[in-house]
Amino acid sequence: MDILLIDDNSTSVFLTEMLLKREGVSSNIHSFFTAKEALRYIQQSLPDRVPAIVFLDLNMPVMDGWEFLEALKPYEQQLAHRCHIYVLTSSLATADATKTKDYSLVSGLIHKPMDSQMLRVIWAEVAEQTS
Amino acid sequence: MDTNTSFLLDEQRFRSLFDNNPDLVLFQNNAGTILDANRAFFAHIDKPKGHVLNRPLSDFLPPNKRALFQQKLAEAFQGQTVRFDTDVQFDSLPPRQFDITQVPLMTDGEVTGIHVVFRDITDVTVAQLLIQQQAQKLNTVFEAITDAFFLVDHSWRFTYLNSETERVLNVQRAAVMGQSLWDVFPEESNGVFYQHYVQALHTQQAVHFEGFFERLQMWFDVKAFPSEEGLSVYFADITDRVKAHEELYRQNNDLQQFTYIVSHNLRAPLANIMGLVDLLASLEPNSTDFQQTRQHLQLNAHQLDTVLQDMNTILTIRDNHNVVAPEQVPLLDVIEQACRTLDAPLKQCRGTLQIAVPDTLRVHGNRAYLHSIFFNLLSNSIKYRADSRSLQVQIEAVSSSEQNIVVTFADNGSGFDLQKAGADVFKLYKRFHSQHVGRGMGLYLVKTHVEAMGGHISVSSHEGVGTRFTIHLR
Repeated sequence: MDILLIDDNSTSVFLTEMLLKREGVSSNIHSFFTAKEALRYIQQSLPDRVPAIVFLDLNMPVMDGWEFLEALKPYEQQLAHRCHIYVLTSSLATADATKTKDYSLVSGLIHKPMDSQMLRVIWAEVAEQTS
Repeated sequence: MDTNTSFLLDEQRFRSLFDNNPDLVLFQNNAGTILDANRAFFAHIDKPKGHVLNRPLSDFLPPNKRALFQQKLAEAFQGQTVRFDTDVQFDSLPPRQFDITQVPLMTDGEVTGIHVVFRDITDVTVAQLLIQQQAQKLNTVFEAITDAFFLVDHSWRFTYLNSETERVLNVQRAAVMGQSLWDVFPEESNGVFYQHYVQALHTQQAVHFEGFFERLQMWFDVKAFPSEEGLSVYFADITDRVKAHEELYRQNNDLQQFTYIVSHNLRAPLANIMGLVDLLASLEPNSTDFQQTRQHLQLNAHQLDTVLQDMNTILTIRDNHNVVAPEQVPLLDVIEQACRTLDAPLKQCRGTLQIAVPDTLRVHGNRAYLHSIFFNLLSNSIKYRADSRSLQVQIEAVSSSEQNIVVTFADNGSGFDLQKAGADVFKLYKRFHSQHVGRGMGLYLVKTHVEAMGGHISVSSHEGVGTRFTIHLR
């Protein structure tokens, strides 16, 4: 099972990686500092090797989280129920939470920092939806 | 019928005409004595015939009119018909206004007497006077109201405009009266004003709207009322109000942006710190993970501090906006100084810098701001240069008029997609390159500094070609 981290902030990537490691997640973790690279990776992973979980930051230069979600729209059908996107943001703006509802691939919005408890909840959700 | 009979009939006819004339008629000899007078005259002065005839007219006139009548009588005795208007107060009667005609009676080439006809025009005169007064009053009202006001007829021709209209629209009454509104302002002949006026005339309902008057770059608040004569238009210059409103809206927008951005950018390192501290508790103090976590912690604590310092910088500029006294800064001097600071990194990337700025050019502003502007622009050029060619930067300045100095700053760097970046180029903490370290403060500062000096900045850019900033200063 593949996990993608998309975040231009190196500390944020480091933190999520460490947390996954601490929780004993043995999946392949792929970290991307730009959304464009991550998009290319997902396009190439179609149709069989799509990542199960994507942690997506919103505030990034060149292509931000929203633009990334827009770019994924053509693949929604292929990704549905197989790829679960969690928006991981430091922003507390409620408008962001509302906006995620427009994207069916987004399973949830998490305010940074993520902790072990949150990670276990996500794990359970994904396991339930995938089975 | 013999001649005598016919003569008698004629005489009777004239007598009747004389006696029954509603005007006051009398006949005077050259001494001014009343030889005959009609019923209307006796009735008017309220005296029987016997008290009037064979007495001079001046006996019945107020003393201040005697000379006038004497003079006019003398003129009539020269053989010409005399006509004049005057008010006369007979005895104690109320004064009346008369249109007086004196017709000389010629017998054998000599004037033997004068027929005097008094036509009472008091009522007409009063009515005319009233109309005049009303018109004057109306004019005074139109002139006194602070709104500009004008009237046009159904063919759009000006039939009235007050002096406020002359002042605001910068027109001369004499030059536009009778002219069509759309001949005077042809550029508006299908504009917002025209459309509202047509609507008012068409629906016969008053209209109220705000419109921008291109020729004078002014905003007007306009009320137009249709009437039988055409259209009455009241308008006031609200340019200041609209500008203030726009400025307020812009500032409010800026403030919202600022709050959003700052909260986001404050929280990003803070959230990291919270996560790292939590992580730290579960790590072996001597492990590599522990060391790395500590380093990230340090980095994010510094970032947090940087955001706070940025905020301080921005707020200081805003606060100083109206405090720091502007001076005449020699432009070339400050540009060279700012660029010298970046000499080393410029040389390192083999970049070249061309400055074409007249050394006499001075700009109205603040030296520190100007320094910051050119420092930030040049450091961006170095940071975002194209890898495929050596960096070339050109700074030029021309003074297009005393109040307008245009500075262009152009490089051949990597550029960016202006369509995509659009309005975000100058926004705080917005970045357009993922491969470079930058926190999106530079261009925000540049814009803030330019605007603090009353100028404005625009940008054009093409990916892979370069970027050009145009700065207007005073």
